[in-house]
Amino acid sequence: MLAIEIKNLKKNYGKTEALRDITLNVPVGGIYGLLGANGAGKTTTIKALVGTLRPSSGSVKTLGLDPLKKKKTVMRQIGYMPQTSALYEDLSARENIIFFGQLQNTSHLNDKVKHLLEFTELTNRADDPVHMLSGGMKKRVSLACALIHQPKLLLLDEPTAAVDVPLRAKIWQLFRELTTEGITIFVSTHLMDEALLCDHLAIMRKGELLTVDTPEKIMEKGKTHLKITTNTSVVEKIVAGHPQDLADALKEFGLSSAIKSIAIKRDSLDTIIFDLIKKDR
Amino acid sequence: MAHTLIIATRIMKQLRRNKRLFALTCIAPLIIVYFLKLFMDTFPSNFPVSRYLIPVSGLIVFFFSFLLCTISLVQERAAGTLERMFINGINRIEIIVGYIVGYLILITLISCVVLSETLLLFDLNYNAQIIISLFGVFWLLSIVSVMLGIFISTFARDESHIFPFIPLIILPSVFLSGLLVDVTLLPTGIQALSKCIPLYYANTIILEIINPAGLLSNVWQSIGVLIAFALILPFIASYTLQEVEN
Repeated sequence: MLAIEIKNLKKNYGKTEALRDITLNVPVGGIYGLLGANGAGKTTTIKALVGTLRPSSGSVKTLGLDPLKKKKTVMRQIGYMPQTSALYEDLSARENIIFFGQLQNTSHLNDKVKHLLEFTELTNRADDPVHMLSGGMKKRVSLACALIHQPKLLLLDEPTAAVDVPLRAKIWQLFRELTTEGITIFVSTHLMDEALLCDHLAIMRKGELLTVDTPEKIMEKGKTHLKITTNTSVVEKIVAGHPQDLADALKEFGLSSAIKSIAIKRDSLDTIIFDLIKKDR
Repeated sequence: MAHTLIIATRIMKQLRRNKRLFALTCIAPLIIVYFLKLFMDTFPSNFPVSRYLIPVSGLIVFFFSFLLCTISLVQERAAGTLERMFINGINRIEIIVGYIVGYLILITLISCVVLSETLLLFDLNYNAQIIISLFGVFWLLSIVSVMLGIFISTFARDESHIFPFIPLIILPSVFLSGLLVDVTLLPTGIQALSKCIPLYYANTIILEIINPAGLLSNVWQSIGVLIAFALILPFIASYTLQEVEN
């Protein structure tokens, strides 16, 4: 079974095409990343998946169900964390989590709230009003609100936007822990380093999918720049990104003892994506 | 029903926590009624103060209840919590009814505070039956204003979108509801417009209540229309409050 099934999804706002014929299958388990710049269509895709946006054409299935037709059933099984914290600032972290838990008729609510506060390391600040918490803490409260009813699928819309690097690492560690509990995570991001932490990656640009693969495979699409220095010359060569391509390229040099050093510079994910964009044009 | 109560409880908890808003909502109408007293004191002694006084107090209740509810719901939309409630399986009727129940205590308090201060400051010696009837009208009017607030909030994405609606809703209520001049003196077309304004019916009922020879049975139609406003507006609002973006 697929966690997410998107077929020929299109969304138009007047003459603007926000999504252009997106087709994407997300397997159950692991972290699936949706990478793209602002305006690429990430949020629009997630909104279609949670059932708050009606597609212009195409179909969307979340956990095998149409989120517009089977809203109640889908909502019970998904957790959603929007780009903004989307919390009640006058209420405490605990009260926010309890409120969203009550809306989902969550059983053993107090135990689950206690567990989530520990999981997100918010126990010490649990009873402070949300407006007194830092941006990163608010993100963790928001994550706890999305998790309170133990969803099977977690949809996260740029969950670490405007969060500093150490806290981002901490939040991603939490995501990884959640996948070990069997939760599928579908996360949008515009940060390249975060994209590399996903198990699968879909790259979007201007409402279209550029490529879908594992981060490793996408990295292999990059080129390796060789700079080979011998006693008498310096040779620069560009080969494909796979280690086998690198070995083949070096065979012609016989790996002679005269070779003093081999410097390798691989394309970053940013460069690979820019190249994909260029090809797409 | 359970969801409605959960939302109402959350709103009441928020109001309790937001002491500044709570205090301002109760104190600001008191200050305005006091200014009204200073203003009315400049009038000649034979001026029929009560003919204007109680309807103006009603307008104050109407204005504050409308403003409070409209801004709160718009804040929900701007913060993303409204969308989050929808994603948690809550429908728009549950949200609207939750809001009404949540604000019931506050609007009851505003109605009590404004009416009590008006009666005390102006030394109006009405009997218990008249006071209870006036309170009933104020309360009903504030419920209508909460409904109107919910309805108007559906047209705004953030707080700044609300401001153009404030004069658009409040000023016609001042000029065309019979608050300052008898509606029958207005042009015929405008009289029809007056009858679309909830405050027109509240004024009609109030003037009948404070008239020593008046009878509530004479204004049963106005009472009915005011109740109809309270019942119909949430349904209209439920159609404009979008769960799904099209």
